[in-house]
Amino acid sequence: MIATARIGLIAVFVTLGLFFTFVSTAGVIRLPDVFSRAHTASQADTLGAGFTLAAVALTLGWQSATVKTVLLLVFIFVTNPTAAHAIARAAYEEGIEPWTTGDDRR
Amino acid sequence: MTDTPAGVIVPVTRSVTLRQTVGYVIQRALDQLADGEPPQIHFVFIASWRADDPGSTADRKQADELLEQVTTWSQFELEAANADPDSVTIETAVIGDDDYRFSPTDYADLLTEYAETHNSSHVVIDPEYSLVGHTTLLEPFEFELQQRDLNVTEAPVDRSTRRGRLVDPGSPARFLTLFGGSFLFYQVLGGFSGLFDIVTGVATALIVAIALDDVSFYRDPTLTGSPKRLLRAVLYVPYLLYEIIVSNLVVARVILDPRADIDPRLTKIRVFVGSGFPLATLANSITLTPGTLTVKADDQELYVHSLVPFARDGLFDGALERWVRFVFYGREAARFPSPLDRGDTEVLQDPAAADPPESASAAAADGGVDRGVDTQEGDR
Repeated sequence: MIATARIGLIAVFVTLGLFFTFVSTAGVIRLPDVFSRAHTASQADTLGAGFTLAAVALTLGWQSATVKTVLLLVFIFVTNPTAAHAIARAAYEEGIEPWTTGDDRR
Repeated sequence: MTDTPAGVIVPVTRSVTLRQTVGYVIQRALDQLADGEPPQIHFVFIASWRADDPGSTADRKQADELLEQVTTWSQFELEAANADPDSVTIETAVIGDDDYRFSPTDYADLLTEYAETHNSSHVVIDPEYSLVGHTTLLEPFEFELQQRDLNVTEAPVDRSTRRGRLVDPGSPARFLTLFGGSFLFYQVLGGFSGLFDIVTGVATALIVAIALDDVSFYRDPTLTGSPKRLLRAVLYVPYLLYEIIVSNLVVARVILDPRADIDPRLTKIRVFVGSGFPLATLANSITLTPGTLTVKADDQELYVHSLVPFARDGLFDGALERWVRFVFYGREAARFPSPLDRGDTEVLQDPAAADPPESASAAAADGGVDRGVDTQEGDR
C-alpha cells in the first residue's frame, strides 16, 4: 500500500518536473526577448529540477544519498538566480532595450 | 536671527568613519560661522540600556568616553582650521537611557524630541552609524527622521569598509565557523563513515578555512545572532518555495495559453535591506520567483524586469523584502511599509507615462491580463 503510494507520488513528481521543463522550453521559444526568456529559462531550474530531484529523493528512500539530492537542490537554488542575473545584466549593459507590448520586434 | 534653528545634531556610535564625520561636521560649522550664524553642534549618544539596569554603568562609561573622544577630535579640527575654539558651541549628551528603545521609530522620536528642545533642525548621520547592536537599519532610521521634518544629511566620507567589503581580515570566529561548516559538509557528503573521513575531513576543512577565511562572511558570526538568523532563514525557505510555485504556475499559464499575453516592463525599486549579503539574498529571491528578474543592483536600487502585472504587484507589495528584513534583523524590522506605500517604486518604459508624463502610477492600471490569478494573493 505504502509502496504503491510512493511509486504514485514519484510518478506525479516526475510528471510535474517534466511539465515545468516543457513550459520552460516552450517559453524560451515563444517569448520575444532575452529578458523575458531569462524568466522562463530559470523555471526549468527551479521547479523542473526541483520536482525531479524530489522524485529522486523519494526513490532513494532514507539514506545518505538523499541528503545529497537536497544539497543539490540548495546549490541549484543559489546558482540559478545568480546566472540569470548575470545574463540579464550583461544584456542590460549591452544596451538591449527590453521588449514591451506594442513593440514590433519579435 | 536666533529663531532659525542653527543647531546640528550628530548621533554617534563607535564606527570607522566617525572621525571623518566629525571632520565634516566641523567644516560645516565653520562655513556656517562664515555666514554669520553661531553654530551649535550636539553630539548625542543614544543609549541602548536603561540607567537602572545592573551593569549599565560600564555602558555609560563607554559612551562618555566616546563622546569625550569626539570632543577632542572636534577641538583638534578647529585648531587645525585656525578657528577660535569658543566660536563653535559643542555639546554632548547621552539620551534615551530612561527606557529601552526598539524600532527606528523610537530612535527617531527620541532624536526629534532632543532636536526640539535644543533648537535644531538638522541631523548629520555618519554613514556607518548603526543603531543598537545591528538590530535595526540606518535607512529606515533616516526615512523616519525625514518624516519628522528634520533635515538629514549623510556625512560624505571615504568608506574604507566599502572598498574592503569583499575581503575582510579574518577573525577566529569566522575561521572556526568556516572550519566547522566545511567539516560538517564533508561528513554529510561522506555519510559519516568512520575515522578515515574524519581525518581527511579535518585536513580539507582546514585548507578551506585558511584559504577562504577572509572572503566567506560579511560579518563576524556570533553565538547569539548567527543561529537566530539561520533559524529565521529556515522559516523563510517554505515561504519562498510557496512563492516560487505560485509564480511558476502564473508564468506557465501565460506561456501555454495562446490567448494570454505578456506585459513585460522594466521597473525600478528602492529597497531597505542593507547592502552586501542581505541585498544579494533579496535580489536572488526576486530572480528565483519566475516573473521577476533582477537586472541590475545599484546599491539599494534594484532594476527588476517583470513579466506580468501579477508579478509586478507582488514585487511592489514587498513581501520578499519584509521576509529578508525578518531573516537578517528579526521580527521588529519586518514591520515596514511596502515599497508601494513608501513611493519607492517606478515603472520604467511605461506606455501610459509616455503621453502624459504625470501618470506614472499606472502599475495597476495597465490592462488586466491575468486578473484571474489575482485571487491567489488573498491567502497568506
